[in-house]
Amino acid sequence: MRRAFTIAAKDTRERIRDRSAIVLGIIAPLGLAAIFSFVFNPIQNFSFHATYAVVNEDGGPASTVFVDQVLGAMQASGTVDVVSVDSVDEARNLVDSGADPFGGGDGIDGAFVFPAGFSDLVQSARPADFEVIINEGNGTAANVAVAVAKSYAGQLDSVRLAVATAEHLGDPVDRLQAGARAASVPQPVDLVDVPAAVKQLGDTTFYAAGLAIFFLFFTVQFGVNGLLEERHAGTLSRLLAAPIPRSMIIVGKMLTAFLLGLVSMIILAVATTLLFGAEWGNPIGVLALILAGIVSAMGIMAIVAGFARTAEQAGTFASIIGVVLGFLGGTFFPIAQAGGLLARLRFLTPHAWFMQGLGDLAGGNLADIIPSVVALLLFGVVTGSVAMLRLRKGLTP
Amino acid sequence: MKVLVIASTNLRRFLRDRANVFFVFIFPILLILVLGASFGGSVVPRLGVLSLDSGELAVDLTHHLDASSDIRVTEFDARDSMVRAVERGELEAGLVIPAGFDSTIRAGDSVDVEFVSSSGIDATAMRTTVESIITQQATLLQAAHFADSEGVAGFAEGLATATALQGQIPSVDVAVTTSGEAFSLSGLGQFDSSAQTQLLLFMFLTSAAGSAALIQTRRYGVARRMISTPTTARTVLVGEGLGRYAVALVQGLFIMLGTWLVFGVNWGDPLGAAAVLIVFGLVGSGAAMLMGALFDNDQQAGGLGVLLGLGLAALGGCMVPLQVFEWISPGLYKVAHITPHAWGMEAFDHMVLDGAGLVGILPYLGILLGYAVVLYGLASWRLQRVLTR
Repeated sequence: MRRAFTIAAKDTRERIRDRSAIVLGIIAPLGLAAIFSFVFNPIQNFSFHATYAVVNEDGGPASTVFVDQVLGAMQASGTVDVVSVDSVDEARNLVDSGADPFGGGDGIDGAFVFPAGFSDLVQSARPADFEVIINEGNGTAANVAVAVAKSYAGQLDSVRLAVATAEHLGDPVDRLQAGARAASVPQPVDLVDVPAAVKQLGDTTFYAAGLAIFFLFFTVQFGVNGLLEERHAGTLSRLLAAPIPRSMIIVGKMLTAFLLGLVSMIILAVATTLLFGAEWGNPIGVLALILAGIVSAMGIMAIVAGFARTAEQAGTFASIIGVVLGFLGGTFFPIAQAGGLLARLRFLTPHAWFMQGLGDLAGGNLADIIPSVVALLLFGVVTGSVAMLRLRKGLTP
Repeated sequence: MKVLVIASTNLRRFLRDRANVFFVFIFPILLILVLGASFGGSVVPRLGVLSLDSGELAVDLTHHLDASSDIRVTEFDARDSMVRAVERGELEAGLVIPAGFDSTIRAGDSVDVEFVSSSGIDATAMRTTVESIITQQATLLQAAHFADSEGVAGFAEGLATATALQGQIPSVDVAVTTSGEAFSLSGLGQFDSSAQTQLLLFMFLTSAAGSAALIQTRRYGVARRMISTPTTARTVLVGEGLGRYAVALVQGLFIMLGTWLVFGVNWGDPLGAAAVLIVFGLVGSGAAMLMGALFDNDQQAGGLGVLLGLGLAALGGCMVPLQVFEWISPGLYKVAHITPHAWGMEAFDHMVLDGAGLVGILPYLGILLGYAVVLYGLASWRLQRVLTR
């Protein structure tokens, strides 16, 4: 085993001196994580907020209930601001000037207009309508305004229908009073909010972790490919002639891969946490996932090295496999949210298990990552054993 | 003539590498397909529905939700799997219709329907939609309740009467007046945006990562041998540059024509699109030449090429649309325009969304050409010295 360590120490030193491992293992993922968090942070931190104008020319009960109770409740929750405006023209101008597709700006995102006599019309059984003015450019805020208005119109319809039903079955009633009573009949269906835990990574963490596992495969490849390079350089024969068991040569190369992977992953996890505020989660869980992730990367890259004839060919296959698995595994965009076949296919990649494990860790506890860790280890053990057989057979001068 | 020989050798060497063939031709098309299929077009928020009641009213509610075009409904059998899907962001929200939904309402009591969501814009909009659908259904139920509580009839009779009356009573309507234009990206086809962004991303990325080839030419002594023949450093330089440019053009042309034929991607005015391709290819190959001149280790240059290729693309609006930057963070919007990608995207947006032609995008082409001139200028100044050292 000491000999394996000697080989690993020499290889690792060589890789560090050559700096290409540092570029691929640390600088590239860290640089990209910096850029991605710079680009995606403002988007992630953006929260919904809308400002609506109300023109109340009616002033009767039907419009007052909307302003006080419906909009009042939204105001109380902090997502909506309401301003009172005197004329329809003014409201229209305000809405026209404030296009803002994501909400959150200071402009007016929509206006509700209750015409004079609206409440009287509602109380009689005649057609009644009120107006919502939106700017198409306001996206979500405009849609919410329309939905809120339609929902309230639906409630008014309910009350009118309730009063009409009671009148039809019984005697004529005082509509205003009956309406008030009907409105106070508890809603038969209450929508109760149940907050879900967030088992997703925030954008900064998602990209930090995604890039780390993506580049890990390339970092590990530096160690694994050592055998092919020794052959190319003609030093493999000398290694074989030395009193070292063959398996120890392979173990030495694997150790190099493991060391490079571990060091780069730990540096990336610590650096992205300190520099960009990534939240990887419980350190023990993260370490378990990183170790299992390295094992899977070593296994897969060893298979590539086992079946390649030259270091160049191995590099070619490795980059294709690394990139395809990385994209399919959802390291660059959250492929899980795409749904469908693609979202299921992703579990054929170690990357997806790694990301899922971190996601589960973020919203749950340590035990939640066990399936991910087991899956990653399985990837590593299965591919690693096949690779071992291939590599040993190929260890000829 | 020598220039062309150098360039064609370069191109042949490039195409012989199977990894290059994969990354230049196959991978971009796959990515455009995947991105367009999963994220292109309009995004409809997804609602999971778990119905634990088989009563008529419960079935009715599910039907109403299903019929809404504002949400996409997926039915679930188990609470666990639905909640997990919400937690992982595979659904915007989940709705649990409890057991006894039907009978409780018919008995005149109210029922709690759980709305499972994580916070966020999508969940807010979804909640409003779900609430309005529930209100619609509740109309009849509430009337029946009222008849019951007023003591004029039982729930069943009230429901029957309300159902009969519903069509006869004029409804309260909402008149929606719209102004302004919808968020401009909605004018794009399903694959348009992913094709445009990936074209720029890959042309630049392939070039930047391809700078390794120039370093190999230098390290293996190919450059020195060429210069020892009656070939000037300038010829070698132009030939190498032309080789990189040919690679960028071939890839760009392949993506453009391929996506146009296969996915029907709208590239705007053909002359304008061709001009963007030609000029952006110059920018990409210029970056490759500069990197090839600055670095001595091809593996390092490859890694940095990936960093630059993806990083500039992310900054330049190839991963998040520039319009989103503009609304969310004006500072970010300005920074984005440091990259050539942003100007390329502006050119495509102008052609596809505003119908501009070649003349309309001349300013953008001019800026891109400026990038190319600066990059080539720096590269040749540096390469002159390195090659003749």
